[in-house]
Amino acid sequence: MPHDVTMPQLGMAQDAGKIVSWLKSPGDEVAKGDALFEVETDKAVMEVESPANGFLTGVAYAAGDDVPVGQVIARISDSADDDAEPEAQAPEAAAGQADDLPEGHAVTMPQLGMAQDSGLLVNWLKSPGEEVAADDILFEVETDKSTMEVEAGRKGWLAATLAEAGEEVPVGDPVAIIAEAKPEAPVARSVKDGGARPAPAAPVPAEKNTAAAPAKPAAAAPAPKPPSAGGGRILASPKARRLALEQGLDLNRLAKAGHPQPFHVADLEALRKMPAAAAATAPSEAPRRLTATCAEDGLSEFVPWAAETRGLTPDTILAGLAGASLAADGTVTVSVESLGTERRFAVPPGRSLSAVAETEDAPALIVRDLRGTPISTVALGAEEAPVLTIARDGAGLSITLECAARALDPGEAIRLLTDFAGRMEHPLRHLL
Amino acid sequence: MREITLSQAVNEALAEEMRRDPTVFILGEDVAEAGTPFKVLSGLVEEFGTTRVIDTPISEPGFVGMAVGAAMTGARPVVDLMFGDFIYLVMDQLCNQAAKQHYMSGGKLTVPMVLRTNLGATRRSAAQHSQSLQALVAHIPGLKVALPSSAYEAKGLMKTAIRDNNPVVIFEDKLMYQDKAPVPEEEYLIPFGVANVKREGRDITLIATSSMVQVAEKAAVILAQEGIEAEVIDPRTIVPLDEKTLLDSVRKTSRAIVIDEGHQSYGVTAEIASRLNEKAFYHLDAPVLRMGAMDVPVPFSPALEDLTVPTPEAVAENARKLCSGELIHAA
Amino acid sequence: MAKPKTNTEDYLRMYRQMVRIRTFEDNANQLYLSAKMPGLTHMYSGEEAVAVGICEALTDDDRITSTHRGHGHCVAKGAEFKAMFCELLGKAEGYCRGKGGSMHIADQSHGNLGANAIVGGSMGIATGSALRAKLQGKDDVTVCFFGDGATAQGLWYEVMNMAALWNLPVIYACENNGYSEYTKTEEIAAGSIMARAEAFGIESHQVDGQDVLAVNELTQKLVARARKGEGPFFMELMTYRYHGHHVGDINREYYRSKDEEKDWKENRDPIIRFRAFLVSEGIASEEEIEAMNAEIEKDAAEAVAYAEKAPYPPAEEVDMHVYAD
Repeated sequence: MPHDVTMPQLGMAQDAGKIVSWLKSPGDEVAKGDALFEVETDKAVMEVESPANGFLTGVAYAAGDDVPVGQVIARISDSADDDAEPEAQAPEAAAGQADDLPEGHAVTMPQLGMAQDSGLLVNWLKSPGEEVAADDILFEVETDKSTMEVEAGRKGWLAATLAEAGEEVPVGDPVAIIAEAKPEAPVARSVKDGGARPAPAAPVPAEKNTAAAPAKPAAAAPAPKPPSAGGGRILASPKARRLALEQGLDLNRLAKAGHPQPFHVADLEALRKMPAAAAATAPSEAPRRLTATCAEDGLSEFVPWAAETRGLTPDTILAGLAGASLAADGTVTVSVESLGTERRFAVPPGRSLSAVAETEDAPALIVRDLRGTPISTVALGAEEAPVLTIARDGAGLSITLECAARALDPGEAIRLLTDFAGRMEHPLRHLL
Repeated sequence: MREITLSQAVNEALAEEMRRDPTVFILGEDVAEAGTPFKVLSGLVEEFGTTRVIDTPISEPGFVGMAVGAAMTGARPVVDLMFGDFIYLVMDQLCNQAAKQHYMSGGKLTVPMVLRTNLGATRRSAAQHSQSLQALVAHIPGLKVALPSSAYEAKGLMKTAIRDNNPVVIFEDKLMYQDKAPVPEEEYLIPFGVANVKREGRDITLIATSSMVQVAEKAAVILAQEGIEAEVIDPRTIVPLDEKTLLDSVRKTSRAIVIDEGHQSYGVTAEIASRLNEKAFYHLDAPVLRMGAMDVPVPFSPALEDLTVPTPEAVAENARKLCSGELIHAA
Repeated sequence: MAKPKTNTEDYLRMYRQMVRIRTFEDNANQLYLSAKMPGLTHMYSGEEAVAVGICEALTDDDRITSTHRGHGHCVAKGAEFKAMFCELLGKAEGYCRGKGGSMHIADQSHGNLGANAIVGGSMGIATGSALRAKLQGKDDVTVCFFGDGATAQGLWYEVMNMAALWNLPVIYACENNGYSEYTKTEEIAAGSIMARAEAFGIESHQVDGQDVLAVNELTQKLVARARKGEGPFFMELMTYRYHGHHVGDINREYYRSKDEEKDWKENRDPIIRFRAFLVSEGIASEEEIEAMNAEIEKDAAEAVAYAEKAPYPPAEEVDMHVYAD
């Protein structure tokens, strides 16, 4: 079996060595321990010995060559005729040194968008070998629907271009090299034939890159726009921001009202109490008001039954029926106001009334139960969330939905009230 | 329940473990007849003899290194390092040797040793006998770090430390040696990595270690008079750290101050505050504050030394600001 | 040569162990030079008689602590090639599951408490192991290997003091190869190294570290006395490292000459000397020795091939073994 003779790893920070001279010739018979060639590294010259007895074959490098550490230089074979070239073998660690890019400062593909991982090189404004100033535009990049110009960043010569117009370049990868001195042999490459990376040992079929690579679709949906006051940034605690987002509260309104920043959770209460001001900012849209009537006996039979068999309170039932009428995908908070008390419930999707639990979150819907009062109709105007007011109306119930125009469109308002009135009239059907 | 001093609690823990396990022995300067300068070990040599309570020369790297070797070969040494400040002397033995043996050997070797030492300023001992250096060792993977805050904790944590199969550094507050606390007569252990909620509250979480637990508790009393309910949590061990209890509390209160007697910069407080920030960010209604010792060598003069350590009043003042939404560090 | 012992098997085992160390190192050197081994390594070649002479006087219950130049101690204390080469290449089947590498091989099953990459770092560990033996009434002995360079570390004087005070069963074995990394030891050491141990009242011996029988005979005596509570002892073993401080230290004429290296290799080599002795005493023939050498070389080649193919540890092991259960 032939033994490989490789460029030895010698110094602590060495990655290549220069063959100074060969002490044996191809085909020579050698013994283990015989000096084969001399290597220079880190100012030291040393002899490399034969790892085995045999014949020197497959000599792949000559005196004067710089060879990466670990690269096979020759073989010691059982016969002098075995002169197969050593297999091309480039250890990963040393591969970078085999590349012959000019020295200089790399200009990399800039990161521009939030969820962008590559940029499309639109065109070059400078050619390899050209002298450039720091603020000269080197190339244009398109990303996430915007195009921007990339400057050289320093003065010098454009020594290498590593991508062609129309190619996608990963963010952070070198696109150009700016050298301090005029390059003797400026390099122009495409990403396809290796770009800044070392050329692979096996030749890649030369394929002319004519068509521009299709731009990568944006990886993520645009993030919700953060609240901001007149272009300025709003200062708010992380928790206040999170709750505002979850409850659909607009911190911009607090900021416009001149409420002192930073906003904390406590300030959200002030924001909730601002509906009037909000209405004033949208005077053209009157609040919506719809009324429905329904029979009461279904509910009056259902409530004691549910209390006995399921342990449900009347408020829980109202919250569950109202929450379900919103037909939301996620859990909604419903506030039930009855006889001067207010309780909030988290109503999960689905119809299970026993899954309804108390919460302290801001409500998406308010149920105001006026059955215990002499009031029969209401017109109180829009509040911070849509309000369903339940009142007695003769032998039955009247249900009034009031909300700001922006809270529900007419179709949604009609659907909500119709659905809720139906559930109130036939609560058992809700369970089915 | 009977009350004993922290010093007696440590002494009891050692005596009980030495009776239970003949491989446990004590090694250090003036540990035998002298019973250490703080008299924590008084009486142990009378019961266990000088072969298990061993006085060493003043050679900290030497005897800590020997404890590592004894631990690697079947003993459970408890090393007494007279002052926490001497940790600097034993860094190689502790951090390069003890901490890494188990990992470097792919799990074959273990180093079941305890390094007992202390922390705490305001004893008028100046810069080289007053430091609280728990952050230095907590930074090193492979070491566990316990910070008892009372006689009860000191006993339970010491017994757990001795039975642990890893090197454990346990820092006692040298100002607390004579402080009494209820300690049961019956045997008990306090597991590592289980924080102790000393006081419940809804408005702010005060996470405090060792000497700073009583500071936080006093601050909570002040705050309660003003209607601010502070939750006080003692992590008891900072490696391992009971992150869950801390995070659960902060998610509830939305505010936190972390208090530890080590220097504030790059310290225990910074680490805990950072974890709260990373893992409970969207539950925070105020920045998490660090309160550590001032970033100065501990001065000798009482007039200066007392300024360097967090006080209940300072903790209460910061808590008040956080709860009122006042900007502490203007953005 | 010291007076020959009578046990032929012992001699052949000592020879065999020395050749195993040399062969292991030659292969490790090749792995490094061919960039197949990560990191770097410190060769024990030239010092084989020290490790073998001492470890052949020990049992598996006796402990050793080793150094950055530790492959020889590890082999001499009974380690296997496969697990050692796997460790050198960072493979899962290595003695430390690839977590220690060349400078941290530990083999607890044979009493090797591990190599240590801090010069002098294991002096406390070795003395502590001896303290444990004494406290627990065990008769095992701990040998602390270190180089002449480590005698400059303060820790040694602290633990020698305690070992002498308490008569601990520890033997401090200073492998004096004349060089403290890249510097002649005579340039960094004042007075005599022997005298330093003697200052603590520790019985000290200097021995030719290239004579395996002399080393073995002295160690046998000291170990037997240490078991009886007559320790500690100090041995200065005069030896030589054939390679540089580490495998990459090739250009070393600024600190030692090629002639000096040649003289040690040709005239004082422990393996050549002991081989000549075995043949002249009729203990083994040249053919038998060649056969033994060939067998060891084959073992090593197979172990290297095995280690090269062996898998790396899986990623999930990266945070295993930080803490013991």
